[in-house]
Amino acid sequence: MKAVCLASAMTVVLLVLVTLCFRFYPSALRARQMLFVYLFCLAVLVAIWLATPADLGFLGRSLLAEPAWVDFAAAIFFFSAGFFGGALQLYNLCDRGFSLRILVDMLEAPADAVDVDYLTANYSSGRGLVWMYRKRIDDIVAARFIGQANKSVMLTAKGDTFADLFINAHRVLGLEPPQ
Amino acid sequence: MTPALIALAAAAACFLVFFVVHIGGLRAGFENARWLLISYAACFLGTLVTAILLTAWHHGMQAIVLSATMAALTSACLFALYVPALYTVLTSLSVQTIMLLRRRGGALPEAELYERFASRKIMEQRLATLLAGGYVATDGPSYRLTPRGRAIAKFFRPIKILWNLGPGG
Repeated sequence: MKAVCLASAMTVVLLVLVTLCFRFYPSALRARQMLFVYLFCLAVLVAIWLATPADLGFLGRSLLAEPAWVDFAAAIFFFSAGFFGGALQLYNLCDRGFSLRILVDMLEAPADAVDVDYLTANYSSGRGLVWMYRKRIDDIVAARFIGQANKSVMLTAKGDTFADLFINAHRVLGLEPPQ
Repeated sequence: MTPALIALAAAAACFLVFFVVHIGGLRAGFENARWLLISYAACFLGTLVTAILLTAWHHGMQAIVLSATMAALTSACLFALYVPALYTVLTSLSVQTIMLLRRRGGALPEAELYERFASRKIMEQRLATLLAGGYVATDGPSYRLTPRGRAIAKFFRPIKILWNLGPGG
């Protein structure tokens, strides 16, 4: 149970630190900023786990996970899942979520009901769908999945490998990849 | 086997079953979001029951709280990691772009990509998904938020403001 207590507390600390970073040290590379905060918190979590007694001074004997390495591994796993499956996904959804942005645009629209043309033209507070897709292209260029030349886009070797991976994942799920 | 190890083993084994069942359901044509929730709810229940019964059998009732908590949290963490990975494969426009490029020989004109992924059609497709999920409803040729869609938008908007994210999307 020490793992649960420490990982939960450190996840709260991580969310506070991420909020402070986003508000006071704004960066274009927010996901990378979050990753640094995660690594810092992970190091602190490991240090606290090693420095504290198994019962944290208040846990009963029946709540102690044994062997100790299981508790240590669980602490790292719970905290990492909280980051990669929680905080980072929350950020991705808020900053890049296509569907969520449509819902927010509808909420902020001057009328209760809006049509497809309105949503297409006013996507992301008026930035539009071209801006949305340009952002995605820029990101996968920066990640070196694709390159650009002569108004064309081409896969890199890395992109080729990942494309195969995703196409196979689609096949496993019984879906037809786009063509 | 200690209660902690029983919990981890029960969570891992049940999650593996959930993974196979979920993919089987998708392949059989079940609607993803609903099937995901139903199959995971069964997996979570199975994890708890397995962990509690095995722990009670081997270690008595005292160790149940530890075992059940660790099993539930391990299962929830696995699910939290699985869902974003699944939706990245299913809905990400970046992933669809590189898959399309691969299927079309590795290169395409930018204009063709924009025509496909930044057009009215992609908005119509996503609105159809939101309609099927009950987040929006039709109002003649237009769309309006349902209470569910409004609640989602209202929940996330303050987080965007708190994290200083701008409109995003």
